Amino acid sequence: MTTETPPRPRKRTQPDPSLPKLSAMGWVRWAWRQLTSMRTALFLLLLLSVAAVPGSIFPQRNIDAGRVADYIAQNPTTSPWLDRLGFFAVYSSPWFSAIYLLLFVSLVGCIVPRTKVHVAALRATPPRAPARLSRLDEHAEVVTDLSQDEALAVAREVLRGKRFRLHSHDSTSLSGESGYLRETGNLVFHLALTGIIVGMAVGHVFGWRGDIILAEGDKFASSAGTYNTISPGPWVDTETLPPFVLGLDRLDVQFNEAPGRGFGMPKEFTAYTTLQREPGAPATKESVSVNHPITVDGADIFLLGNGYTPVITVRDAKGEILYREATPFLPQDGNYRSVGVIKVPSASPKQLGLTGFFLPTAEPTFIHGPASLFPDAKNPEVALSIWEGNLFPGDAPQSVYTLNTDEMKQVTKADGSPALIRLKPGQTYEIPGGRGTVTFDSVKRFAGLSVRTDPGAPISLVSAILATAGLILGLTIKRRRVFVRVRPAGPGAAGVDSPSGDDGRPATVVSIGGLSKDSDAGLAAIVAAVHDRLAERNDRS
Amino acid sequence: MNLASNANAALYASMIVYTLAMLAFTWHLAARAPQVADSKVAERAEVREDVLVGAGAPGTPERRSPYAAAPGFEESRESRQRGNIALMLTYLGTALLVASVLMRGLAVSRPPWGNMFEFATAGAAAVGVAYSVLAKRNNWQWLGVFVVGPILLVQGLALTVLYTEAGELMPALKSYWLAIHVSVAFIAVAFFTIAFAIGIVYLVRLHREEKPPAKPNFMESLPSSAALERTAYTLNMVAFILWTFTLIAGAIWAKQAWGAYWQWDPKEVWTFVIWTVYAAYMHSRATAGVDHRKSMLIALVGFVCVIINFTLVNLVSTFVGMHNYSGVG
Ligand code: HEM
Repeated sequence: MTTETPPRPRKRTQPDPSLPKLSAMGWVRWAWRQLTSMRTALFLLLLLSVAAVPGSIFPQRNIDAGRVADYIAQNPTTSPWLDRLGFFAVYSSPWFSAIYLLLFVSLVGCIVPRTKVHVAALRATPPRAPARLSRLDEHAEVVTDLSQDEALAVAREVLRGKRFRLHSHDSTSLSGESGYLRETGNLVFHLALTGIIVGMAVGHVFGWRGDIILAEGDKFASSAGTYNTISPGPWVDTETLPPFVLGLDRLDVQFNEAPGRGFGMPKEFTAYTTLQREPGAPATKESVSVNHPITVDGADIFLLGNGYTPVITVRDAKGEILYREATPFLPQDGNYRSVGVIKVPSASPKQLGLTGFFLPTAEPTFIHGPASLFPDAKNPEVALSIWEGNLFPGDAPQSVYTLNTDEMKQVTKADGSPALIRLKPGQTYEIPGGRGTVTFDSVKRFAGLSVRTDPGAPISLVSAILATAGLILGLTIKRRRVFVRVRPAGPGAAGVDSPSGDDGRPATVVSIGGLSKDSDAGLAAIVAAVHDRLAERNDRS
Repeated sequence: MNLASNANAALYASMIVYTLAMLAFTWHLAARAPQVADSKVAERAEVREDVLVGAGAPGTPERRSPYAAAPGFEESRESRQRGNIALMLTYLGTALLVASVLMRGLAVSRPPWGNMFEFATAGAAAVGVAYSVLAKRNNWQWLGVFVVGPILLVQGLALTVLYTEAGELMPALKSYWLAIHVSVAFIAVAFFTIAFAIGIVYLVRLHREEKPPAKPNFMESLPSSAALERTAYTLNMVAFILWTFTLIAGAIWAKQAWGAYWQWDPKEVWTFVIWTVYAAYMHSRATAGVDHRKSMLIALVGFVCVIINFTLVNLVSTFVGMHNYSGVG
């Protein structure tokens, strides 16, 4: 990527001119120089953008583990390789991490020396004016009847008004420099980029997130054990989570009922809750909706999902209640066709498991299988199949949303066909073979709440704002140098710009030159301003 | 009064006016071409020399401003008049388009960018406004074809492929961050688009400067490649700053709506990719020894990413993450 060659070591141990040898230190220094060169930074930036793309094409575990599993099942030949190479977790893969870590090592290696140079530049005086200002990017000349000192004073005044730092190295010249803030802004920008990364790292290490599904009327006390899932950062002490108690009084959900493209689209989700900062503390009413989290002890509580919890009762043949719970069924599509599982370990002689669907607005015929026509609970129905046997084979831990049927058999009717439960609220189904009954009592909504803390976020936010400010300074301010030289008007100097000096008064030729590092449409205006002010003074005299 | 249907009527009207503007811009370019041919014959040698010496070489006796048109080209009155007619039509077309977007916004009582159709029309309006504001003072009549053409294309696609009835927003979009984040993104895209158009013209112009064609045409009447390059850089720079802001505002909004400011959802990924590609462009332009043509190619790739971000990422299901608002399908 770069044309630089390794440096030759200062002292050569072998007098072989064709094979310069590098000491270990020399190689390290060479590698460091490569890594911190602008070209490497450029290359790494491009590489980073390319490397980020696969994560938007392949499903990612951190977003939707279910889709990753589907993808792997559908592409059995390629996906093991993709998986091994990290394509389903691009942003935590070694290659992606390597690129951004190298970029940031390069960044730091770049900022430090540039800061030193810049601090020195801030203290330095503007350089001596070159001999021939007409060679500079912008140039103007004017003859005036001011004295040399007066002319320089006028130029000084104009340039000071334009915030130039000025210095006269001798009595016939003036040097001015401006735009130091450009490099300052640029350094702030690059430094703030590292700040963003530091903030992300802090969030990763000290942040945590817990998810909970809470049915209407239910309450939960925050602690490491009460969340459905909790993912703490490596340095989080899960004993010190904020001990708040949150009750879900009501979940208000509205869907678009007007026919057309937007039919069934969500319009409104609001959870009305009762919050206590700690057990026994006074309760306050708080509402959480999308875009409006509530904050407790540095933790934000977000409403991220919702669905239905049918209340289902399972009784044995004698009418004893074996199971009665509001069981969350997880929505699978926009019309909230939801899947769920009911596990009844206390059933005898064999454990019972029910698995199937909840349909908020059931399509009555089931022609294409169980389907829901609308996300609101207009015509709720559950459709479940029944299994019996061992619910927990091998006592392996399992999800509450899946039924492991390895050691179970589907319950059938007398004619041998599988028994299928279809119930509307209030209805009861008798399981064949005198195994008891299943009742669909009612349906409640649940809220999917996520509690998160990210102590690094403020660091990243402040850094991001600084980065933007630095960027604006670094890009819009121009580094400019303007020089002015004066000399007495000699023969032939007349007619350069203004034909004065004829009346016998001493005339001065003022030469103005401007220099800019980059494309700079404003430089000409500054040179012109000095020129015009001098010309103007001339007219008045 | 039905605002939504008036909005559509204004959209159709703006397409008609833009089509006329497009024709007028072509007519304007046609007026520039023969003139170049005339002036070129006499000035060929001088032009060649100017190119060989290069804009920045020291010691050039008389440096011409890089912002002037090509040497030896003095725009004729006819060409200027045609250019101005085209500009007037563009202003009218833009006004109609903006009116359409505003009426749509009033019809739905929210910022009018909640689905792909609205993205496309509001994006086209942003490009139209940016061009209309900048064209006159920069003498960008020659650029009109390359800006109004894409606007028309986007409007056509919006009405045929992406059309969505005026409707309400999904809850995740109900936030004032929608107004901030998305509107800044639109302005950024408007600048990226114009910079892209100039970037393409720059590459062609540069090629023709290096290998002067036998028959000069309107291209030779445009500002020098160096000037075009600088203009594109300035526009890209403004757009990059706005895009940086878009990225940050998006992260703040994501934090509110989804609980985490950055989750690498496909839309976030592409916003980031665009940002890094343009950052690479800014970098390469500042790196000694990388020529401006190569830098410009990076910027063009960046614009392709902008297009992908607004099309494929919204529409193709492999990309669909949490930003699933297209309203299409
Ligand atoms: C995370 C990686 C980086 C990003 C996103 C980035 C981005 C940028 C951007 C957008 C600019 C132009 C803005 C301005 O002039 O203020 C810039 C300029 C610059 N960058 Fe970086 N940069 C990165 C890393 C680096 C590294 C590692 C180096 C050191 C080799 C570096 C050196 C420079 C220099 C010297 C300039 C100034 C160019 C000039 O205007 O003269 N950057 N960078």
